[in-house]
Amino acid sequence: MKVLDRKKMILVNSALLILLVLSAAACTLLGPVRIDLSEALKNIFSSTADAEILLRARLPRVLLGIAIGGGMAVCGVVLQALLANPLACPQMLGVSGGASLGGILGLIFFPNWLLPLAGGRLGEISWIPLAAFLGALFSMVLVYRFSLFHGRLHPYHILLSGVILNSFIAAVIMFLNSIVDFYQAQGLLFWLMGSLSTRAYVTVGFIWFYILLGFLWLWSKGLALNLITLGEDAAMHLGVEPGALQRQIFIASSLMIGAMVSVSGMIGFVGLMVPHVMRLLIGSDHRLLLPASFLAGGIFLCWADTLARVLLAPAELPVGIVTAFFGGPFFLFLLYREGRRSLAL
Amino acid sequence: MIRRPRLFALYFRLIGLFFFIALPSSSDAASVGFSRRIVSLAPSLTETVFALGFGDRLVGVTNHCDYPAEAKNLPKVGDFMSPSLEVIAAQRPDLVIGVVGAIDPAKAREMERLGLNVALLSLSTVSEILSSFKRIAALLGDAEAGERLVRKLTLQFDKVTNRVAHTPRRSTLMVVGLRPLVAVGGKNFLDELITLAGGANIARNAPQPWLNLPDEYVVAKAPQIIIEAGMGSDTAAPARHWSDLKSIPAVKERRVYTYNSDKILRPGPRIGDGLEELARLIHPECFDRADSAKGTRCEGA
Amino acid sequence: MNAIHAENLSFSYQDRPVLHGISLSVSCGEMVGILGPNGSGKTTLLKIFSGILRGIGEVRLKNKNIEKYNRPELSRLFAVVQQEPRVNFPYSAAEIVLMGRATYHSPLALETPHDLEVARTSMDRTDSLGFANRYLHELSGGEKQRVMIARALAQEPEILLLDEPSAFLDLKHQIQIFELLLRLNRERGLTIVAALHDLNVAALFFPRLVMLCNGRIHRDGAPSDVLTEKTIQDVYGIRVRIEYDSATKKPQLFIRPSLS
Repeated sequence: MKVLDRKKMILVNSALLILLVLSAAACTLLGPVRIDLSEALKNIFSSTADAEILLRARLPRVLLGIAIGGGMAVCGVVLQALLANPLACPQMLGVSGGASLGGILGLIFFPNWLLPLAGGRLGEISWIPLAAFLGALFSMVLVYRFSLFHGRLHPYHILLSGVILNSFIAAVIMFLNSIVDFYQAQGLLFWLMGSLSTRAYVTVGFIWFYILLGFLWLWSKGLALNLITLGEDAAMHLGVEPGALQRQIFIASSLMIGAMVSVSGMIGFVGLMVPHVMRLLIGSDHRLLLPASFLAGGIFLCWADTLARVLLAPAELPVGIVTAFFGGPFFLFLLYREGRRSLAL
Repeated sequence: MIRRPRLFALYFRLIGLFFFIALPSSSDAASVGFSRRIVSLAPSLTETVFALGFGDRLVGVTNHCDYPAEAKNLPKVGDFMSPSLEVIAAQRPDLVIGVVGAIDPAKAREMERLGLNVALLSLSTVSEILSSFKRIAALLGDAEAGERLVRKLTLQFDKVTNRVAHTPRRSTLMVVGLRPLVAVGGKNFLDELITLAGGANIARNAPQPWLNLPDEYVVAKAPQIIIEAGMGSDTAAPARHWSDLKSIPAVKERRVYTYNSDKILRPGPRIGDGLEELARLIHPECFDRADSAKGTRCEGA
Repeated sequence: MNAIHAENLSFSYQDRPVLHGISLSVSCGEMVGILGPNGSGKTTLLKIFSGILRGIGEVRLKNKNIEKYNRPELSRLFAVVQQEPRVNFPYSAAEIVLMGRATYHSPLALETPHDLEVARTSMDRTDSLGFANRYLHELSGGEKQRVMIARALAQEPEILLLDEPSAFLDLKHQIQIFELLLRLNRERGLTIVAALHDLNVAALFFPRLVMLCNGRIHRDGAPSDVLTEKTIQDVYGIRVRIEYDSATKKPQLFIRPSLS
């Protein structure tokens, strides 16, 4: 009987962790600009160009990419279980749409006259990500209210309200796109297609803390997630309280997605593709699927960002375009090779 | 009762006739006479018309047209990307001028179908901007005014280029947005202005006129001047944004400037003034110190 | 002791009443078949017994009100085999069966060797060990059903509730399953309550039958008491001839179609 055992757990997770560390190192060393590594390391604490590229321009991006790739992948896994639908992805909840809209509205309507007040200190706070997160919360509450019946969140209603909310938000964003000026339109693109460009270790640290916490909590629910895919009734018979689990997962993943989109815009495809690829490779037991997807998602987004920096150098592509462009065909290839045998679609 | 196939044929012939009559060519209105009622669909074109001396012929401008002051009182036809066709038509213009790429092509076609005379001008390079002066002047029936304006600007350009001719170029980065970072690339009239002002745009090899630049590229190219030309009112933001990348010469020597004037952002008659102000930022040592231009904030020599 | 005791149980879906005043007791170690036409309330009754639905009236499991149990306790007390197993994700048969052991180990730990042993035995009993490593969605309806029964057995329950367990099984496996249930009942004292649609099979294997009609208990007793021509006529509206099998001494139905 081939089932999940400790050996497999340790083997898979260690392999992926090693791959992740190697990828992080590689992506920090790669880019459109060539740097002299020994120079950079010698002057690591002083301000030379090479050191700054390594430490200030690249490393924060790589770290952010790992966190967000991992977070998106993990949210994709739990949403697919929650909605009992292998095609579910973080974008479906409407939360990422809400975050984008919040960010875009913040971008357009931010009262710039406020900034010079308080001695210019107000300008140092990132208001736009906060606006985005508020948008995410608002969407989350909306979808929650529309899907909650008798203490249970019905997957059908979640999907439907999410899709409708997304369409509505897309329409609003299109409208805003038609009335903004050229410079704001660039900002809009950031929200819709994503970017990992950052130098702020504070932001990266905060996101890491947040996502790691969310990931660990969701990982602890791995067994319950297995059971819930058998159906709500069957899960109940096996000791799970489906209503409570659904509510908790919905809120946890919405908060995670909201935070991620607030910081880096909408990066799609990771949450849909990585869970599937990992399922094809290591099976559907969530106790392994969750950490494996987290690590794999980090690896994937890390490389996607490197490609985004390198492909059209010196220009930087939005990373969401790279994930879709390379992720899609690769996934189709994998599906063709093994999917017909093992994917229950 | 006409039989069905005959009726359809008649119908199609009528439609064809309608289009043939109602669809004028979008070429110059020179054959139709000089335009007296003009709608401008871009602030730069509005400025050009005024600069040519024919501001009194404008019967409609966009919401953003605010220079010269008289333009603010003119009837508004909407935004330059999606103007209101009804309001435009209500002004009964005999010429509508717009910028290629800024106006929705479907809207332009619709205006032509309504019988309006539409002229679209391309303003992506400095030479195109200068040609636009001549072309608009021709449409207005005063080619001489166009030549005068071109001469005036050419003189302004020469004055600046002579001043900076003997100093080495300063590598420059011009951005129009910080989050995300949108920089001026090649094939952009701003890139040309930077060159004329004695600078060297670090992104001039990029084929795109605007592009997102990763931070590492900026550090590697080590610009000596960074100019924030975007529409933010937080003027301290650009300096703060770059402050942690101390290896960049512009940051070390505190040459991160905010210069978001319409004089360079509008591809119109004021680019001559804008060029001078830009050159003062890039090569302050070449200009009289006491002569401080409006709208600039210099962070040290 | 009563394994299950229901007192004056009623239930309505929204405004559609399904069960009226059901009073039923199942002793520990009993094997009971619930019969009745579609819509008579069989599945609803099982759902109330298994804690999914809550009706009006008291339900007690082993002399304790069902509402006083928490879910993990309930899952160790009884197991349910549902009518249509539908799994949206690719799990192997072995993984499905192992899920039955969920409440026997910490949610943060993996299954113990004992859990694996119990799962293996359960699959062996239901003749499903042969496809343990195949994906559930690749199996036939009958094979899936046997895996589900194996999972129920892996829970090591005291009570087994089944909703039309033979629905997709071929004849050989139908008999196999019912013989297995009979053996579990006799050798291990497993209390079994099953909703059944095949009256003849019910008569052969179940010592006690409860016939539902329009949400009420029409008849409750041994097969010979419940399966009479009059009962069938009243409840199902068809005429049959009952004959007693000389070997098993159980009543068997012979249908008289109106056209023949």
